[in-house]
Amino acid sequence: MKILVTVKRVPDPEQKIKLKDDRIDLSAANWQLNQFDEYAVEAALRLTEDARNPATRLGEVTVVSLGPAEVQQQLRAALAMGADKAVRVDSRDEDLDADIVARTVEKLVRRDSPDLVLMGKLAADNEGNEVGQRLAGYLGWPQATFASIIEVVEGGKALLVGREVDAGVEMKKVRLPAVVTVDLRIVAPQAIKNGRTPPDHAYPEGPRYASLKGIMAAKKKPIEELTLAQLAIQPTLRVRTVSVRLPPPRKAGIKVSSVQELVDKLHNEAKVI
Amino acid sequence: MAHAQNRYLADLRDVHFLLFEQFRLGELLADPVFGGMDEATARMIVAESYDFARQVLGPLNEVGDREGCRLEGGAVRTPSGFRDAWQKLYEAGWKTLRVSPDHGGQGAPALLTVMVEEFLSGANTAFNMYPGLALGAAEVIAEYGTPEQKRAYLEPMYHGTFGGTMCLTEPHAGSDVGAARTRAEPRPDGTFLISGTKSFISGGDHDLAQNIVHLVLARVDGSPPGTKGLSLFIVPKLRLDGTPNDVVVAGLEHKMGIHGSATCLLNFGENGGCIGELLGGPPGLNQGIRQMFQLMNSARISVGIQGLAVASSAYLNALRYARERKQGPSIRHFKDPTAPRVPILQHADVRRMLLDMKARVEGIRALVAKLARHMDLARLSQGKDDQAHAYHLGQVELLTPIVKAYGSDQGFRVCEMAIQTLGGAGYIRDYGIEQYCRDAKIFSIYEGTNHIQAMDLVGRKLGLAGGAHLQRFLGDIGSFTRAQAGHPVLGPSVAVLGRAAEAVASTTLRLLDWFQGGRLEQVPLVANRFLEMMGETAVGWLLLEQASLALARLQELPPTHPDRSFYEGKRYAAVYFAQNVLPGVEDKARVLASEDRSALDIPDAAFAQV
Repeated sequence: MKILVTVKRVPDPEQKIKLKDDRIDLSAANWQLNQFDEYAVEAALRLTEDARNPATRLGEVTVVSLGPAEVQQQLRAALAMGADKAVRVDSRDEDLDADIVARTVEKLVRRDSPDLVLMGKLAADNEGNEVGQRLAGYLGWPQATFASIIEVVEGGKALLVGREVDAGVEMKKVRLPAVVTVDLRIVAPQAIKNGRTPPDHAYPEGPRYASLKGIMAAKKKPIEELTLAQLAIQPTLRVRTVSVRLPPPRKAGIKVSSVQELVDKLHNEAKVI
Repeated sequence: MAHAQNRYLADLRDVHFLLFEQFRLGELLADPVFGGMDEATARMIVAESYDFARQVLGPLNEVGDREGCRLEGGAVRTPSGFRDAWQKLYEAGWKTLRVSPDHGGQGAPALLTVMVEEFLSGANTAFNMYPGLALGAAEVIAEYGTPEQKRAYLEPMYHGTFGGTMCLTEPHAGSDVGAARTRAEPRPDGTFLISGTKSFISGGDHDLAQNIVHLVLARVDGSPPGTKGLSLFIVPKLRLDGTPNDVVVAGLEHKMGIHGSATCLLNFGENGGCIGELLGGPPGLNQGIRQMFQLMNSARISVGIQGLAVASSAYLNALRYARERKQGPSIRHFKDPTAPRVPILQHADVRRMLLDMKARVEGIRALVAKLARHMDLARLSQGKDDQAHAYHLGQVELLTPIVKAYGSDQGFRVCEMAIQTLGGAGYIRDYGIEQYCRDAKIFSIYEGTNHIQAMDLVGRKLGLAGGAHLQRFLGDIGSFTRAQAGHPVLGPSVAVLGRAAEAVASTTLRLLDWFQGGRLEQVPLVANRFLEMMGETAVGWLLLEQASLALARLQELPPTHPDRSFYEGKRYAAVYFAQNVLPGVEDKARVLASEDRSALDIPDAAFAQV
């Protein structure tokens, strides 16, 4: 199975957000691989290996990212986990929106013809949750979003995808090729059944760590560098950021001396009752 | 499994500064000896191993402390999660970083390896001792073993199938190793029957690996007394055919710290069935101490790193607390009860403690990095440039006891100061710092007490090669002070460093005089103090070197660059250390020159009548 996985670098979500000139100041950002994308890489690796003998690959995983040269670091991290090759499309974050990203990935998919596109369900920076849906639309492919279970069925021609919904787990079957976006529980020990790894095999919880061997091997794996122009992408933004503001700080509370006063203030000052 | 929360923190910016700015890892990596690693790969190794330490080992630190090890049915059970972490560690490969590619390792420079070791030790000191000892023991077999011994033991010990220990200490032979009584009786097939008791054996038994390979110091019947008659034996817990080898865990110590590390009393050959092989075959007879020193030297550096590692995390945790904890108004408004409460970071004494910890931690990390770089350069110059080789090896000899003793002493004191920074919150368990402090105390005791390190420095290392190692060390400082004497910001501090180096030089002459003038018994009284003088001088020097690099970088950086505060920190740490700690070197020299003998002269009975 040939899988294309999209990955994005995001600023460390635990860092405090600073604003400068009505924009988020990212000059001191600690960039890291978007967590859901890391899960997608892990899912792709589990789909393309026999866990009893993970050194032998049963498929090919290509990781793709749009971004400046520094994104190589996140691509290398995915290669160190075990992905086979990478593509970086040179661009600046401020020149991208979900539509440009979806159209760019579409071009790569049409060029490379993967059997499956795996993506994180959203990126932790603006939590957009758009690119997968747009990409499936452009490609005219079936899509399954928020996957927490993936099972290869019909001899590799389709996937059974479990999605966590309010009432339980909804199972959908999608024919390949397809676009699947993954949720947190896709990295549970037995979330993925690829037909080769024994069904009772339990992976450790979470995405795998890059091993020392993986890091050394990643150095020799190819990263293809492309530009938006080479892919004939019109970089016209459909979404523009006008300004960014922090939510207003909460005012200090006050003490009231009686229930009467509380009700009075809620009614007359806060006007909530 | 309770309290599985990571508290380990390291300052990766400082690690990058050491690797890529002060000690120029790139120069080393250019040599093909290091397997074609590049800087980007080294950065990734730093990032990934730090992540691993925080995510896998860090959460088990408190678990190990609370649960400790248990002796059940004659076997040690390690705390919850340790087995899983062991497996993950060897899958990730972090313990093979410095192992030769011939044995599936990376052959990476020591400079990079010591940083990764700091993460592993800092995140979970007790856990990291098991794989650390396995690696150390394997390296002794790699150096001195016969081809058959290497074939049988190296791969499984490097890759986590077997653990390893070093068995020196006996109940009556601790610092006095030569008093060891463990016997080795030759058998007709060339192997030996081992019998004796070894105590305080770290990782002496555990449930992490299939087998444990003990390196046991024992005396072959008929060998001379003292250290000269000791040989080193490979004694596996299970013989290679899988049958038990009559190694019995007779007890488990209950300790102040490192509860997750099993400290065992081991009986070898209680039932006459413990078989060992002489390390290196017949030529290894009576070579035990020399062989063991290979392990001891690398273990001593590791202990210095342990001290640094916990101190660094204690400091960073204290810093984080000081930024958040509000208490009291600023001293500028001390009379105004309505003045806003400020984070304790704003109080002068808290700032003093934090800067003191920062300077010591970053200075000792630089000292460890310097030692590692000398190790790498010694390796690169071997057989190519004899003078350079002798120089670098000499600095490794000289700095090893300093890294071990100064790193471990200061490590403990930084942990203590971190507790003080938190106040009552530091004394309770909730913040994890008291554990760092308890864990850290052993560092000044094991792998040769810090007094043994001081005596090694004064009695052995100073005199090696006719005193050349110390002369080169002081010469390097002299080159620095001459070059930087007129530095507009650092000049006055460089002058203090110059006087400290002079104090070390003059004290060395005084010690030489004592040695030659038959006043040997006075040397141990001052040896620890002298080691501290050298540690402070070295750290002061390296901090000032950092500051001069940092100030040069600051001139190039735009005023809003986020890296500016890092470089400013280097300047303040160096000046603080030079102005507040380095003058103490001259003081110590004066104290030493008074040749006070009170501790020798006081009658035994005069200490107290109890």
